[in-house]
Amino acid sequence: MTAYLINLATLATIFGILAASLNVLIGYAGIFSIAHAVFFGLGAYAGAQLALQFIPDVLLACLAGGAISAALSLCLALPALRVRGEYFVAASLGLQMMAVTVFSEAHSLTGGHGGLVGIPPATLFGADVSAPAPFLGFALAVLAVLLLAVRLLMRGSFGRALMAIRDSESAAEAFGKDVRALKTLAVALGCAMAGVAGALFAFYMAFVNVESFTLEQSILVMAMVIIGGTATLAGPLLGVLLLLLLPAGLSFLPFIPPTQIGAVQQLIYGLAMTLLMIFRPAGIAGGRR
Amino acid sequence: MLFLQLLVSGIQTGAIYALTAAGFALIFGATRVFHVAHGATFALAGYTFLALSQAGFPWFLGAGAALVVAVAFGLFMDFFVYRPIQRHEGSFFTVFVAAFGMSIVVQSLIEIGFGRGFAVVASPLTRAHEVLPGLYLADIFWVAIGVALVMFGAVTLFLERTRLGIGLRALSENPELLRAFGLSSRRLSMVAFGLGSALAVPGAVLTAVTSGLQPAISAQVMLVSLAAAVVGGIGSLRGAALAGLLLGVVENLVVSVLDTQWSAAAGFVVLFAFILFKPSGLFGQAVAR
Amino acid sequence: MLHRRSLLAATALGLASPLAAPRLARAQAGAHVIGTLFPMAGPNAEYGGIFTSGIQLAIEHITADKMLQRPIDLRAQDSQGTPQGGAVGMTKLANVDRAPYVLLGFTGVSKAAAPIGTRNKTVMINGGGVGPDLAELSPYFWNVIPLVNQEVQAMLPWLQAQKLLKIALVYVDDPLGTGVLSELKNGLPGIGGQLVGSFSIPPATQQFAAIAARVRDSKPDAVYFASYGAQQSQIVKQLRDNGVSQPLLTYSGGSIPSVQALPEAEGLVLSGQAADWTREDPVTKRFVTDWRAKHNSEPTAYHQNYYNGMRLFGLLAQGLEKAGKPVDGENLREEWLRVKRFALVGGEGVFEERGTMSMPMQINQVRGGRSQKIA
Repeated sequence: MTAYLINLATLATIFGILAASLNVLIGYAGIFSIAHAVFFGLGAYAGAQLALQFIPDVLLACLAGGAISAALSLCLALPALRVRGEYFVAASLGLQMMAVTVFSEAHSLTGGHGGLVGIPPATLFGADVSAPAPFLGFALAVLAVLLLAVRLLMRGSFGRALMAIRDSESAAEAFGKDVRALKTLAVALGCAMAGVAGALFAFYMAFVNVESFTLEQSILVMAMVIIGGTATLAGPLLGVLLLLLLPAGLSFLPFIPPTQIGAVQQLIYGLAMTLLMIFRPAGIAGGRR
Repeated sequence: MLFLQLLVSGIQTGAIYALTAAGFALIFGATRVFHVAHGATFALAGYTFLALSQAGFPWFLGAGAALVVAVAFGLFMDFFVYRPIQRHEGSFFTVFVAAFGMSIVVQSLIEIGFGRGFAVVASPLTRAHEVLPGLYLADIFWVAIGVALVMFGAVTLFLERTRLGIGLRALSENPELLRAFGLSSRRLSMVAFGLGSALAVPGAVLTAVTSGLQPAISAQVMLVSLAAAVVGGIGSLRGAALAGLLLGVVENLVVSVLDTQWSAAAGFVVLFAFILFKPSGLFGQAVAR
Repeated sequence: MLHRRSLLAATALGLASPLAAPRLARAQAGAHVIGTLFPMAGPNAEYGGIFTSGIQLAIEHITADKMLQRPIDLRAQDSQGTPQGGAVGMTKLANVDRAPYVLLGFTGVSKAAAPIGTRNKTVMINGGGVGPDLAELSPYFWNVIPLVNQEVQAMLPWLQAQKLLKIALVYVDDPLGTGVLSELKNGLPGIGGQLVGSFSIPPATQQFAAIAARVRDSKPDAVYFASYGAQQSQIVKQLRDNGVSQPLLTYSGGSIPSVQALPEAEGLVLSGQAADWTREDPVTKRFVTDWRAKHNSEPTAYHQNYYNGMRLFGLLAQGLEKAGKPVDGENLREEWLRVKRFALVGGEGVFEERGTMSMPMQINQVRGGRSQKIA
């Protein structure tokens, strides 16, 4: 049972990083992306390839995953600078759908649908950290560092400028803020964090393939942020706990017939999403607006 | 001849996309609700038609019942999901998550009620004949084109000639003015949801006899209508319909030049390109950045 | 005492709510916990139901025969058909339910679950996924289904005999599909044939009119498709609707009812392990008779495989119980290596150490909505 809980906690920590990273985009910069799984995936592939080809150092993998995702975040920044609102949502949708096709076709880099198998156990400066408990510890440390960084950044001038843009782009521009640079940076930051989460995910699963980086995953992460409450530090984490542990918890329910278990779980899950949005539109951590 | 064949099948697919996208655009234009549960409307209509056909009812009764169910579901969403959220001034994404949750609920209910497999209503109309050497055409092609034209003509007439229709078009531009004319925006939004949902029915019925239904069909329909609505210029009915047609044709034609793997993603490449280079879409007004 | 108390509790619960019935099974002390990890929702969920029904019949037989001293407690996890779902579900089955024996399916799920099962020394039985890389996945990963390379090889002589030499392939671009692709590419020249076109598709695509046009354009003698679940029906129907009149071929994935019942699937040729329901050996006979009585329909290869997978546990655990050894993954594997040959439905199953099982193969054709052996 402990092993199971540690495993679940590790998955929750990784998704916590992912949700926190999307919160930078949605909550602070007002960039409503539904392509976040793409950058999660880029990080995972980068981390997995580093481990498979060179060295299974989890810290290096996180850095590599973050760097690759940040570099390719330009694909998202470009439309973010041109359009807003529903148009941007659609643009990110387009990016997500294209990326899935690229992930499943670039066999030499991603292994296609067969994925990358046999990712070696994680090490940190040569020491083995692949056992569930130390790995959870490392993931928690990464989460803490990143949350602290987000907090410091968002309290500082960068964050204030970003939120000014979110609330009124023209006003921020009139105050002499460099909107383009700030938005690009915010996108790079959010995507880099997603890449870090991806690298951790690759080690956690010891197997990655495109099915973990689809639109459904993007929407799940988005739902975590919205349900938890945007632009708060705790919100995305609460969202993760709710949406990740809900299906896990539902699987303990004794009265669901085995053949209907999936459908009933999905039903409860969807219903919970809708009801939460009707009764807590600002999310769990968000105040009543 | 391959080109002509692909063009023809593209037009058939596109006609179905066009109607669904027009429904989505109508709802969005009038109410500014990003109705991602439109796909669920489509699935419900399709399965209602399927259920009645399997029970031995003639096709027009099945289609009529599908119409009733679709309109009822649209109104239900408007009344019980979107309005409570809007009353709290929930953000765009709150609506998105809530609607997405309902799509999951509908999909699970269909799985429980109809099983998870593929289902199709057999019809002699779908079997293609060789009309020219190498060019195959089924009678359903003419049905699809005819239905699309008639439906579209009827909606255009309604929007341009009736008081309600003109009010509907005005709703997106100036709600204040409407109130001065004594039209309630609440009633108009009901009309928009009813009419928009009704537009999904022909596509659903045609899909039930051509490519067939499965519980997860709502996701694909939702994505295509969303993409078409954006490519067409958000809120423009004509644009959405044309873009739906365009996406259907592109999806098919791309197969003659690229690997068949790209067929499904091709529409989204078009979407992404449009947003980058012509964000106002085919017929939309210019959008402020 | 314990027994009596749980019986009392059972009665109370049973009166309170019929829904609580499954809880009873869990209260049974010392049951053999068996896990299942199938897609139970989404486009591939049809398989989950099919796989489970095969297992349930096997459990009924094991119980009726009193093969085991302890009862069997079946725990289901939804793999969602995805690697992530597979990894999460497998972790739960191995760590919480402590199942020494898990039945699963699907290539992606199997590959994600295998490292977790191996770490926990949980035996994993695959009776559905046929990707060629499922061989030698782990010492604890056994296939009770012939993998797809075996299926294609069985198809080749038949193609040669029927003079169907120019083949077009429509395949999902994953280990299964690429496995079929390479087998056909390498195997067809050997019978004087050739692969005249290969068209890869994403797993979620539902429109095949354009593919049909390309297939027709490549002028094949027959069309092979390699896909799963609901998509297969859509491929069959849309190829037929759009003027592809050549014979259609596929692997055992096409043996699910929703494909077979399709009018367009009439004449579909599919390979699969020998499923000769007229066999006289007692295991096959009993399986077929009871299946017909219980479900009022013919069993399929998947029912057979998962019945066999579950029966295999019964046989192994029976041996261990008799020898007085604990029934855990390590001992199950030892027993499996020791016996190697098992009386299963469809004949004797012979395992190789790389985790594959060879079984006699046959070619079937859909006639009147049912699969019939033609070679």
